[in-house]
Amino acid sequence: MIRHLFKLIWNRKKSNFLLITEMFFSFMVLFAVISFVLYNYHNYKQPLGINHQNVWQLSFRPNADSMGQAKAIQEQMMQRIKSFPEVEAASLAHNNVPFAFSSMSMGVSYGNKESVETNNYEVQDAYKDVFQLSVDQGRWFGPQDAVALHTSVVINQVLKDRLFGEEEALGKQIKVDDSTSYTVVGVIPHYRADSEFAEEEPALFRRINLEQAKPDQLYASLLIKVKPGTGVVFEEKMVKDLSRIAKDWTIEVTTLEKMRQSKSKLTWVPMAAMGVVCGFLIFNVALGLFGVLWYNINRRYSEIGLRRALGATTRQIRNQFVGEVLVMATFGLLLGLLLAAQFPLLHVFQLSAEIYWQGIGAAALLIFLLAIVCAVYPSWQAAKIHPAVALHEE
Amino acid sequence: MIQLQDIEKVYRTKTIETVALHRVNLHVERGEFVSIMGPSGCGKSTLLNIMGLLDDPSSGQVIIDGQPVKTHSDKQLARLRNEKIGFVFQSYHLIHDLSVVDNVELPLLYRNVSASERRKRALAALEKVGLSARTKHFPSQLSGGQRQRVAIARALAGQPEIILADEPTGNLDSVMGDEIMDILLRLNQEEGTTIVMVTHDENMALKTNRLVRFFDGQQVADSRLVEAQI
Repeated sequence: MIRHLFKLIWNRKKSNFLLITEMFFSFMVLFAVISFVLYNYHNYKQPLGINHQNVWQLSFRPNADSMGQAKAIQEQMMQRIKSFPEVEAASLAHNNVPFAFSSMSMGVSYGNKESVETNNYEVQDAYKDVFQLSVDQGRWFGPQDAVALHTSVVINQVLKDRLFGEEEALGKQIKVDDSTSYTVVGVIPHYRADSEFAEEEPALFRRINLEQAKPDQLYASLLIKVKPGTGVVFEEKMVKDLSRIAKDWTIEVTTLEKMRQSKSKLTWVPMAAMGVVCGFLIFNVALGLFGVLWYNINRRYSEIGLRRALGATTRQIRNQFVGEVLVMATFGLLLGLLLAAQFPLLHVFQLSAEIYWQGIGAAALLIFLLAIVCAVYPSWQAAKIHPAVALHEE
Repeated sequence: MIQLQDIEKVYRTKTIETVALHRVNLHVERGEFVSIMGPSGCGKSTLLNIMGLLDDPSSGQVIIDGQPVKTHSDKQLARLRNEKIGFVFQSYHLIHDLSVVDNVELPLLYRNVSASERRKRALAALEKVGLSARTKHFPSQLSGGQRQRVAIARALAGQPEIILADEPTGNLDSVMGDEIMDILLRLNQEEGTTIVMVTHDENMALKTNRLVRFFDGQQVADSRLVEAQI
């Protein structure tokens, strides 16, 4: 019977062409949207490597003070902040804090290997406590690094894998250029600070040494970990206190949770928009499919009567129409598969092949499901047609 | 072989009730070639549909091979139609998107018959009706007579014991009509196939063993004829 259905659809390929094309395009759109959603979901399931709960970012914009004065003021503010019992840990940083719309990167290399583009973070020793980072291999920064011959760096596992592969990284020197090299003192398993939907990228942490900082360098962010339950009352008190130290400075406080939410929207909004467009498309395809099937059944009354006369049961008639739609869906999917399979094979957009194959599978399943849902009612109607009546319809 | 006992068929709408068949009693013996005649609208086709298990009588019962079919399920009726009965229609009822041989294979699709066996039986049936050279053609490439021969081959492919033919020569000219009639007569005489044929053509009817006349849904005559002749 399956062969018969394929033959029937193949012989009617001209009249089924539009429907098959519609299935093909629907499959491609579903494949694209599902792959995008799966990619984000896959990333979302990965560990962030940081605990951003109860972490606040204080951003400073100094007034016209000279840089020397500004640094002194910032130092006073740091002391004051650390003195609050509500603050558990505090670390200066540049503006490329987790979930910020800011990044700093550079290329690093090891041995003769190609340079790897990595995110570069300058942080203080307490940064580990602020985000409760875990160190897998080696150690985090400490005062001993202030006197090290080469600047100490901590890297994440992604950078470690790209630079060293299976090789041990600790104690190895990585180069930025001919005059700058760093010594790896620690490896953290994860650091996914861009967004919870983003793939983990290489990360390299350098230790801030305020004594050796360039005279014109001012760290614009201070990250503080506050005790659970600390809220706006403390925020107001802290800002008031800091404003007394840093007159005319602009101090903004925001929580990392708010920043996470705002960054997540960048993924959620397009994903939701695509979902709506996709849903609308599928709805239209479903309507079209339903209409065409309905029309086909009305056009094929006498064929239905004939098949009943030749021994088809109502169930066989129902299965035939559902089967025909599934065969058409299969033709559309085969065309789509030819195109979609190029994505994992050619590593388009650098996504893992697994995501593409899952996208192909899910899109195919949805198309088949859609075809069955749309075919069930018209097929049921077809099966109900009285054979004696149907035979006199021609 | 086929017994119709007190068959009544009434079509009811909200406003009107039409009696298509009234107390019809007919017994078709195995190997008979029965023709049914009567004016249009007298219930001939309704009778054939009831005999072919395509329609239910309003009352009375149909007995095939001694078995009443009233309580048969859809599946059992379909099986009877598939294995025991072959249909030939005035307008051929061929599927235009299938080749001649694929059309002939159709009844075998609803049985557990392998593809190669289906093809073998379809080709044999086509040979019987003299269409071996047209197996790959599509219905649109055939003449009316050839199409009807395909329809007969389709009915034969399932090797049925009964062929129900509803005006098989109605759409054909006299030459082609005679050809089709010859095929049916040969099937009846050489293979013993029971045939019930509805016709408007007296000459065709006179070639059969038995002529049953209907008028206004009632059986008005039933006459045995002389030996059917090819």
